[in-house]
Amino acid sequence: MTAATALRPTGSPWRRLPALVAYVPRACLPLRRLAVLALPCATILASGLLSLAIDDRATEAFSDVAALGIFGLAMPLGTLVIGDAVLGAEVRSGTLAFTWLTPVRFWELALARWLGGWLVALVTLVPCAALAAVVAGAGALVGPIVLATAAGAAAHIALFVLIGAMTRRAAVWSLAIVFVVERLLGAVLSGIAQLSPTWQGLAVFTGLGDVPGVSSRSGIPEGWGAVVRLGIITVVCLALATVGLRRLQLTGARD
Amino acid sequence: MTPTEPPVLDPAFVADATVVVDDVSVWFGQKVALSDLSCSFGPGVTGLLGPNGAGKTTLMRAMCGLIPARRGNVTVLGLDPRADRDVHARIALVPEEEAVPEALTARQLVRYQAALNGVTDPDAVERSIAEVSLTDVADRRLGGFSKGMRQRAKVAAALVTDPEVLVLDEPLNGADPVQRVALIELFQRLGDAGRTVVVSSHVLHEVERLAARVIVVVHGRLAAAGDQRSIRDAMADRPRRVLLRSDDDRRLATGLLGLEQVVAVELGAAGVTVSTGNAGELAFALPTLSRSLEVRLREVRALDASLDSVFADVTNR
Repeated sequence: MTAATALRPTGSPWRRLPALVAYVPRACLPLRRLAVLALPCATILASGLLSLAIDDRATEAFSDVAALGIFGLAMPLGTLVIGDAVLGAEVRSGTLAFTWLTPVRFWELALARWLGGWLVALVTLVPCAALAAVVAGAGALVGPIVLATAAGAAAHIALFVLIGAMTRRAAVWSLAIVFVVERLLGAVLSGIAQLSPTWQGLAVFTGLGDVPGVSSRSGIPEGWGAVVRLGIITVVCLALATVGLRRLQLTGARD
Repeated sequence: MTPTEPPVLDPAFVADATVVVDDVSVWFGQKVALSDLSCSFGPGVTGLLGPNGAGKTTLMRAMCGLIPARRGNVTVLGLDPRADRDVHARIALVPEEEAVPEALTARQLVRYQAALNGVTDPDAVERSIAEVSLTDVADRRLGGFSKGMRQRAKVAAALVTDPEVLVLDEPLNGADPVQRVALIELFQRLGDAGRTVVVSSHVLHEVERLAARVIVVVHGRLAAAGDQRSIRDAMADRPRRVLLRSDDDRRLATGLLGLEQVVAVELGAAGVTVSTGNAGELAFALPTLSRSLEVRLREVRALDASLDSVFADVTNR
């Protein structure tokens, strides 16, 4: 039996990936966390309703509200809830050991957690954003907002996976990065905005939706250029998360 | 021609080692968790004994690669568990912490482990669950499990990979007496089958039932190693402290000084603290003494029944 174990192949990474990804919605997002996720989803929908109160063309009204409510608040918070759940919360609770103590490569782990989290965002936050555009009477903006929130969520979740791999206080650091670095510093310094999923997501929306004036920032590409930049941010964050996972110390609670 | 004498092996090491801990130190900030610890583990069951906070969990986590050795090396089957991911298909850890993915069922957890470890045997999952008697509740969420059931679910998740090295951190915690016996038999069977089974506990008699070989860790250092008998001998002839309370502690203390079993007497607000080289004989002598002194004994309590003091004493020898 021992010899058989020694010879047993550990399996291809691509065969393990479905199990790793399926673990995310099953194990990382219990009902309590999904209930918390309902809050940003509700905020996104409320943004659609709020835009009806603005005395302007539907597309412009929705763009203004989306810039603040969806891209500035609900999407960062929603992706933070998901992004922290897929890795940071597991590091804190100690349950990451169940995955870490397997032959899974660190890049697989980072990729699977990001992919699982992104899929959750695609079925929660993104449909809410599309519905908000419909509710606001801005049907023409459904496509741009779906693409912008999907691409923004991808980069944001990758960023939060990176933070989860680097520190035990991932939730605190994630909040600080969203509100202090992205919102505060990013609003003033375009260099930070260029690396910010929040600002880049908004740039995708304004570029593809052809709603100028909402968030034009110097040095930030709009539309597809911003999508590419978000893709780059995602890949870089996942690469760094792989390094972070390799260095991670999963200490016990007692000794 | 004189026959070649077999080499005398340090009791901390085994000849056919599968896990080697070589001069390992681990520290977290200012706290030293393991200090220059060297030992090895081989096929069979080895007990890792030590009081709470001794460094057992840190040692087990270092053995599995969860935390790096700041100094020294750990090898599992000749490989570095921090660097070589494939070795994790051959070693499994049952962590002591209660944390489990609470939203998963026991069956889902075991299946997850099987999938990640490339287990191809279709019966392996059900077999592992049956080994720990969780078949009836395998589809219940782990969040609703008791501590003992969680431990058993983690054992099932470890067994499904059929590991050569099984590291169990306080696996009997929370288990009821029947399950305790069943788990002990299971670990012994695995050890008899040639697996390296390392079981930690802070309860001496538990380790005695489990393991023929014992490694004792105190304050992050190797305190003792060897078979059960040598460990017990090291602990048996040490002075013990007993607290006595009576209706006249001063008189009792004076009388105690005359007993040959008594090493020292200390009179305090809590009562009379007696250091004795032979607690058993003292227990026999006390009723006679109290009658002769006409003192009524209200409490007789061993102060160092916990392993902490026993281990500390072994360390200081």
